[in-house]
This record gives sequence, structure tokens and C-alpha cells, in this order.
Amino acid sequence: MEQKNWAGSTYGNGWMHKMLIRSLSAIDVRVLYLFSNIFVVPVCLVLNRSRKTAWNYFRNIHGFGRLKSAWMTYLNHCKFSEVVIDRFAMYAGRQFDVQVEGMEHFKALESRDEAFLHLSSHIGNYEIAGYTLASEKKMIHAVVYGYEKASVMENRNNMFSKTNIGMIAMTEDMSYLFEIDKAICKGDIVSFPSDRYMGNTKTIECEFFGKKAKFPAGPFTVAAMRGLDVLAVNVMKVGRKKYQIFVTPLHYDKEAPRKKQIAELCGAYVAELEKRLREYPEQWYNFFDFWD
Amino acid sequence: MEELIQTLKEQIIDALNLEEITPEDIDNDAPLFGDGLGLDSIDALELIVILDRFYGIKLANPAEGKEIFKNINTIADYISKNRTK
Repeated sequence: MEQKNWAGSTYGNGWMHKMLIRSLSAIDVRVLYLFSNIFVVPVCLVLNRSRKTAWNYFRNIHGFGRLKSAWMTYLNHCKFSEVVIDRFAMYAGRQFDVQVEGMEHFKALESRDEAFLHLSSHIGNYEIAGYTLASEKKMIHAVVYGYEKASVMENRNNMFSKTNIGMIAMTEDMSYLFEIDKAICKGDIVSFPSDRYMGNTKTIECEFFGKKAKFPAGPFTVAAMRGLDVLAVNVMKVGRKKYQIFVTPLHYDKEAPRKKQIAELCGAYVAELEKRLREYPEQWYNFFDFWD
Repeated sequence: MEELIQTLKEQIIDALNLEEITPEDIDNDAPLFGDGLGLDSIDALELIVILDRFYGIKLANPAEGKEIFKNINTIADYISKNRTK
């Protein structure tokens, strides 16, 4: 299995993160956006390989012209820096205006005894969803990359300690599987990132923007294994302090053979992901060669 | 024990969609993960579900899981000692 070139953790060290949070409790986010867009993003574009993968995404996947692809590559990096700043602004106690489309789907599943899944991707700013889609009846367990920076995990834990949201860190041992299983047996909500895989994780190939791309089989397998209902949750930045959450139920034939269920579910998820990315093409933050 | 091993292999093949593999292809002592049968971590979750669904065993200790899921013999041995149905 090809190992994707993805570091898997937030850039910067603990000191930098703390300084950013401190500054965000005093400085308007617009000042940091401006600073980042003028000074940080151009440097990143020169130094990082992300400019190539972003360019490929706009030029070859969306089919934009050269000039537009170059401009979108810059915008994409600006938007990414803004959502990272927003994330830290949230840790610093800043509030955002968050609207939800499809809340009724969340409420309908929340009222049942059975567990259900949230599937998300590295688009927009999923972390913002944690506060708006919090449930009073069920605990939300967010499956996260286990080797994220300690400072980021600490900030997340501080933020989520006031809610009924917990994190399940994906590590090399089997402990996270037991936690996922326990959460499902309790009838809770489990949230999976569904667009990245590491090491020997099994993948499923799907048509994504008309080209073959690999997605981790895990989240779809877990859903099919237990016959769980699934929601796609995408959180897009639509204004300076404004986010829009899109909650969409994903349908699949629960009576079909397991393999077919997994393929159907993955197909439904990818169709929804593609729909959001056609609306917000600049908010795709998988900075590696996603398409083979 | 032989009957349990045969049933267990069939359940694993069925649950994991190992379409091109027959029970006879699975060596009782061969590792299930990595170089052996090539299972991955989510497959381990499927094994946890099999133990629960068919044998009434609820595993709660991850360290225990690693030892139990080493190969078919270790799983069968654990089932025979702990099954409730």
C-alpha cells in the first residue's frame, strides 16, 4: 500500500500555539488574517509542496485555467490559514455565527437509542461543528489522529470538557477500536475523518470528480458492520465570522451484501463531498496527491 | 475444538468478505494481522463483534485483544474458555 505523504498534525510547536491563542484573545482575527495572507501564505507557497498539490487540484480536477488555478491556489492557502486562525480563536474563547442546514436529520437520529456516525473530511472547518451539533442525549466521540501535537490535543480537551464531546485517538495499538465499539454499543455518536488513511489501512476506490481516488474503508466498514445510520457533516466558512454546517443523511441498502453496502455508502459520501467542493472549491485542505 | 475452529474461520471469511479464501487456506497458527492473513485494525473491530455476537464475549481490555487475536488457535482457545453462548 502506498503511504501518502501526510504529516498528520497541526503545524507549529506548543509555544507557538500558546502565543497564537494569547494574541487572539486581544487582537481582532482580521489583523491576523491580513498578516497571514500578506506575509505567511506567500512564504508557504514558495517553501511548501502544498502549492503543487493545490495547483493540480484546481487545474486538473476542477479544470480551471492557468491564471485562475494560480489565484485559487493562493486563495486556498489564505482560506486554510484563516480556518486555522479561527480554530485557535475558538480556543481563545471567540464566538462564530454558525448556521445549520439539515439539523432535522441530526435531531431525528439523536432521539433514537441506536448509535450513528458522522463522516467528515478535511474541508472547511469541521471542529466548529463540535459546538453547534453537540447533543444533550448522546455523547459524541470524535476519532482523531493519535499523534496530533500535545498542545492542540490539550486545547481541544479544554474546549470539549464543557461539552459532552470526547476524543478517541487513533494509535498503533488496538485501544481505540475498543473505545469505538464501546461508544457504538452505548448508542452514542462516533465521528470519523473519512478522507485520509495511513500505513496499511484498507482503502476503497471511488470516482471523485470523475477520477479514481482512494478513501479509507474503515468508517464505511464500521457503519455496514453494525448497520448504523450515517450523516455527512461538512462545515464551510462562508464569511469572516460565519460558518455553514451541512448535515446530509447518507443512504445505503442495509440488506445488501457487506461489500455492496460499503461501496454504496462510500459512493454516497463522495457524491456529497464533491457537491460541497463544487460550491466551495477553495476549501479543500488535503495537501497531498489525493488522486492516483 | 476442531468444529469451533472451522466455524470461526467461516465466520471470519464471511464477515471480512475474504472471497478468495477458504477455511483450509487459513493456517491455525499463522498471524492474522500483517504478513499473515493481512487483516488491518478495522478488521480487528469485526473480530470483536464476532466474539460478542456469536459467543457472548465482550472484550474490554485492548492489551488482552492483542494476545487473543494473534491467530485462529488463540481466538478459539479464548472462546472455548469464555463463551457464554
